[in-house]
Amino acid sequence: MLGQGFVSAASIAASVLFILSLGGLSNQEKAKRAVWYGIVGMAVAVAFTAVGPGIGGYWWMVPMMIVGAVIGAYVAKKVDMTEMPQLVAALHSFVGLAAVFVGWNADLERRRVLAAQLAESSTEGFSAFAALVATKTPAELMFLQIEVVLGVFIGAVTFTGSVIAFGKLAGKVDGKPRQLPGGHMLNAGAAVLSLLLAILYLNSAGFWTLLLMSLLALFIGYHLIMGIGGADMPVVVSMLNSYSGWAAAAIGFTLSNDLLIVTGALVGSSGAILSYIMCKAMNRNFINVILGGFGGSKGPAAEIEGEQVAIDTAGVASALSDADSVIIVPGYGMAVAQAQNAVSELTRKLRSAGKQVRFGIHPVAGRLPGHMNVLLAEARVPYDIVLEMDEINDDFANTDVVIVIGANDIVNPAAQEDPNSPIAGMPVLRVWDAKQVFVCKRGQGTGYSGIENPLFFKENSRMLYGDARTSIDSLVPAIE
Amino acid sequence: MKIGAPKETARGEARVALTPESAQHIKKLGHECLIEAGAGEAAGFDDDAYREAGVTVVDGAQALWEAADVVIKVREPSEEEAGFLRQGQTLISFFWPAQSEELLEKCRAQGATVIAMDMVPRISRAQKMDALSSMANIAGYRAVIEAGNNFGRFFTGQVTAAGKVPPAKVLVIGAGVAGLSAIGTAASLGAVVRAFDVRPEVAEQIESMGAEFLFLEFDESQDGAETGGYAAPSSPEFREKQLALFREQAPDVDIVITTALIPGKPAPKLWLEDMVKAMKPGSVIVDLAAEKGGNCDLTVPDERVVSDNGVIVIGYTDFPSRMATQASLLYATNVRHMLNDLTPEKDGAIVHDMEDDVIRGATVTHAGEITFPPPPPKVKAIASAKPKPKVKEPTPEEKRAAEHAAFLAQTKRQVTMLGVGGLLMLLLGQVAPVSFMQHFIVFALACFVGFQVIWGVSHSLHTPLMAVTNAISSIIILGAILQIGSGSFLVILMSALSVLIASINIVGGFQVTRRMLAMFQKS
Repeated sequence: MLGQGFVSAASIAASVLFILSLGGLSNQEKAKRAVWYGIVGMAVAVAFTAVGPGIGGYWWMVPMMIVGAVIGAYVAKKVDMTEMPQLVAALHSFVGLAAVFVGWNADLERRRVLAAQLAESSTEGFSAFAALVATKTPAELMFLQIEVVLGVFIGAVTFTGSVIAFGKLAGKVDGKPRQLPGGHMLNAGAAVLSLLLAILYLNSAGFWTLLLMSLLALFIGYHLIMGIGGADMPVVVSMLNSYSGWAAAAIGFTLSNDLLIVTGALVGSSGAILSYIMCKAMNRNFINVILGGFGGSKGPAAEIEGEQVAIDTAGVASALSDADSVIIVPGYGMAVAQAQNAVSELTRKLRSAGKQVRFGIHPVAGRLPGHMNVLLAEARVPYDIVLEMDEINDDFANTDVVIVIGANDIVNPAAQEDPNSPIAGMPVLRVWDAKQVFVCKRGQGTGYSGIENPLFFKENSRMLYGDARTSIDSLVPAIE
Repeated sequence: MKIGAPKETARGEARVALTPESAQHIKKLGHECLIEAGAGEAAGFDDDAYREAGVTVVDGAQALWEAADVVIKVREPSEEEAGFLRQGQTLISFFWPAQSEELLEKCRAQGATVIAMDMVPRISRAQKMDALSSMANIAGYRAVIEAGNNFGRFFTGQVTAAGKVPPAKVLVIGAGVAGLSAIGTAASLGAVVRAFDVRPEVAEQIESMGAEFLFLEFDESQDGAETGGYAAPSSPEFREKQLALFREQAPDVDIVITTALIPGKPAPKLWLEDMVKAMKPGSVIVDLAAEKGGNCDLTVPDERVVSDNGVIVIGYTDFPSRMATQASLLYATNVRHMLNDLTPEKDGAIVHDMEDDVIRGATVTHAGEITFPPPPPKVKAIASAKPKPKVKEPTPEEKRAAEHAAFLAQTKRQVTMLGVGGLLMLLLGQVAPVSFMQHFIVFALACFVGFQVIWGVSHSLHTPLMAVTNAISSIIILGAILQIGSGSFLVILMSALSVLIASINIVGGFQVTRRMLAMFQKS
């Protein structure tokens, strides 16, 4: 058994390593080192805490860790890169659930300690945490209860929210916003009821108040995320990421553990910033996203004139053969069709023919921030030709051919031209400035947001209907 | 029907309205083709080439005019040719009906139908028969070639062992088809090209051809869409401003190509004598409007004159004819498309459909009546341009003031936030126990560190960031570890479950992050 001094030293080391780990993600090369900082930090934190003072129950702890590690390694190895968003959402739910359990435990332990103190029996057989609780003053115990309430509430919302987000991303739950009758009033009601229960709990009512409050929080998490459309999932996932951090921080307060507080705060602020970036990229207000669905439009959307002109792969191939500069704009459709390898092959072929090929990535393309980058990286597209919206938007005018693969709203000119459009003001990739635009799309439907896209009707746009992967695959040999 | 092309009689005209290539297409429409012997000679098509294409070669103009049901020509008919016209015969050629009323009357009197290629309306469907555009395209190209022929220097700038050559500066006035073609040609030869047009909406086209658009600050700019894509006369004030702009350019440019024409009016004088004087010796002016009087004061139609200060002014009016082969090929194709529209069933029968916008517009006499001018076409030439809101460039002072204001606002916001935050902390400190406040300091600092660090994360790594933060948020496992040694079975069970799922999360999260990062590679 190591002393408390060792454990504290390990906590400091782990905190520094976690900060370095996040900071290292500023570029791709450093990132590979940074992830090791994170791994070492976590290993140090767990190992030293586990052998710290007052820890017992190894017969439970160690097997559980091993089983968990094996499951984790298996899942991480098996998962497809296109299933990344689901996986991240699912993992968030674990953190939420763990926070709920630890919060409940904290309360149970507190009750046990109080009972023992009342009975003036010995404090033998207490866990490390219970031993800590035994030393607390009544004021501190009051705060401990507040922290438990916060940790459990946030954890529960994160848990069900992440499960629903997982379901929506995996296609197991309908992606459309869906709410029970009563909508947000129901959420508000549940929140008020939770608050009442929390107050009761703080006034030393029984454990049932905490349990009931947790159930209400679970309902809020479920109902809140059900009401948000699939297209807003990037924001939701980063928001849940943030929540999982805050839940950890709240639990850290409960346990008087600085490492938990620091790490929770890091994760919480990281998720908050990501949500902010995503909202900004969609020109949406955070509240607006969370309250679900697109706000009612201010007037009828502009009518679109013209027709969508289809083209076959031979036509696209000849245009590509003639082009000098090509920009590929991928969207969620590319992920769905698993077309990233075909796209990579196409890129290689075009590049070896001496053409300039670049990728334009919209910040909210896909279902997770940076989703497209990961898919393209998986398909071995060099990252230095993959550019962000702001870097590439002015270059479209000098580009011969733009290929839009399974993207819709992020290339919708209505966002800039039609003030009545539900996505008005959202920054979009100005693909229509290019000489020719080919849109690879399954059929004539609208995108995730259900908004008609005038791009498809533009004179320089041609539609290549069909599965993205099949289309691109048949395109590759057709290019000279 | 018999389609016949006579030899052009106008002096210096080398073009021909029928080429062996177009003849083959016309035959597919069910027509028979005739050509006067030697008609294609000057354009590079000899009689044998026509014979090979299945065209009957007829000796003498009169014989041809008599044999043909439809006569296709380039230039308007001469007095003599108009005399050959007969009842029911159709003539397709350039005609300029507005300028040649007598000729029009004569053709009507002869009972012939005349389709004027210069009257084809400017709508999308009729582009394939727009002979004016195809001829203007050639004229623009040729104007640059003629200018180069008379200009003593390179077009492109070069740095050679024998010294540095500056690029030629070319000014193109009027960005119609001819102007744009001249811009493209000059730019591809390497010259620095500037261009001016009274219609500001063509700025985009000018820039797309590789020239710099000389912008004139003036409120009442024209909308070319109203006039079928052509320029209209401008107000005196506008003209003054325009001339001032040209006066400014004159000493700087080496080659001026003027293409300004207003339909049915003499060409506007835009390059005045004093501008020619201001130009450097050896400079060249090519006046594509020479036939309508010229845009330059010194222009003499059909001649090359040299001014007192050594500026060469070219006023040729036969640029397309100087490239007879190319011009004939394009013109013959335009005519062929017209015949295509006149033969809807492709059975060799001409159907003169006066309901058709294009045919109606181009027909100037039909069934013994003069049908000029035509009613306006039902389809507008081009969509009207939307007025672009002008964005005013802020002055440096305004910019600085704006920046200062933004800085002040930001300071105010930050100070307010700090104040409110500080106050809240103070209140919290009143009620919270000391141990809590100590942890709270750690929490606040960690939030700050988090905010600072995360802003630096590159966008493309947001997914790995999420996976990594997810992995480290399972630090919650520590809580479970601290509780698992409890005496209560319920607590042990829940702790054990927490340890299990947090372990999945730790290993899974880090593993997935590593997988993702390993894929990022430089090219």
